[in-house]
Amino acid sequence: MTEDATNPGRPRTPRLPPYIADRRDEPAEAAAADSQVSPLRPFVLTSGRAEPTNDTLEMEAQVETTEFGMRSYPHLAFERRDIVALCTTMMSVAEISAKLGLQIGVVRVLVTDLAAAEHLVICRPSSQLNQDADLIERVIRGFEAIH
Amino acid sequence: MDLKRSTNRVTSGRRPPIPVKIVIAGGFGVGKTTTVGAISDIRPLTTEAAMTCAASEIDRADDVSGKTMTTVALDFGCVTIDQDLKVYLFGTPGQDRFGFMWRDLAQGALGALVIVDARRIDDCYPAVDYFERVGLAFVVGINTFDGVLLRDLDDVRWALAIDDDVPLLAFDARDKCSVRDILLAVLRRSRDQVRRKSHEPVPAP
Repeated sequence: MTEDATNPGRPRTPRLPPYIADRRDEPAEAAAADSQVSPLRPFVLTSGRAEPTNDTLEMEAQVETTEFGMRSYPHLAFERRDIVALCTTMMSVAEISAKLGLQIGVVRVLVTDLAAAEHLVICRPSSQLNQDADLIERVIRGFEAIH
Repeated sequence: MDLKRSTNRVTSGRRPPIPVKIVIAGGFGVGKTTTVGAISDIRPLTTEAAMTCAASEIDRADDVSGKTMTTVALDFGCVTIDQDLKVYLFGTPGQDRFGFMWRDLAQGALGALVIVDARRIDDCYPAVDYFERVGLAFVVGINTFDGVLLRDLDDVRWALAIDDDVPLLAFDARDKCSVRDILLAVLRRSRDQVRRKSHEPVPAP
């Protein structure tokens, strides 16, 4: 039942900036990613930019590596390389962020860049999805089937 | 360039599913992650978003242990409806200072579940206000810790000052079917809202 705030049994650690602090709230499964949390400031990872070229890239947008991206993999560095390797399995922007231990804003910038270079393709949801009664009905039927 | 284009196929060759989302808002410790975990296909994952400077003044790391100063954790899971449709559930803190994330989350969302802890009702006021303002369909759920409803539902409705037509339901965040039912309430409200907007008659339940 506990979440977020409470984490008894863990020693309180000195306050650290987020870009070097370890990730204490993650599920155990993600613990392996601890070592991947970059000691660099987010701006360094994004070559100085704070905003992706399209800052509204949805957290649920689907991302997948292209064959070109796969072939370019040896020439990519650091986080870009990690993202291209990870997205050989299609996943959302949020999942990339969680699995690589990168802030969501950083992932948005990098994914947008990689897609512009055709290393990735992004499938973005239409902003009108929540106005589509038939689609909502489909989700309702899907949930009704859960037991 | 031609070479690059001709090889720009995805590795799997599959068509991506349509990703839709439902927002789950509520104060710390109210059961958001439990709710997501009860129904998600995957174990809930945590991602982080940078917080505004104003918020970092409030969220000092020594007040909330295990929290860094300028990021906020966002828990999420997903429910695969079929090969072409995937529902993401995003849990977000309900207090005012996390409002910077709500715009992103609410954009295109099918609806929202606001989870209320009957002992700390004020944690969820800002989320309720926000969803009302942007017209996102939402349902208020009271997580009955250990099956005990600590407040009368009418009292909570009065305290929250929500319209009579906003569903207010008790549920158990640990129970898959209970979570399914309350999310169904969110989805049905969302569907009915869309139908009302398009002036279609709403079928009787």
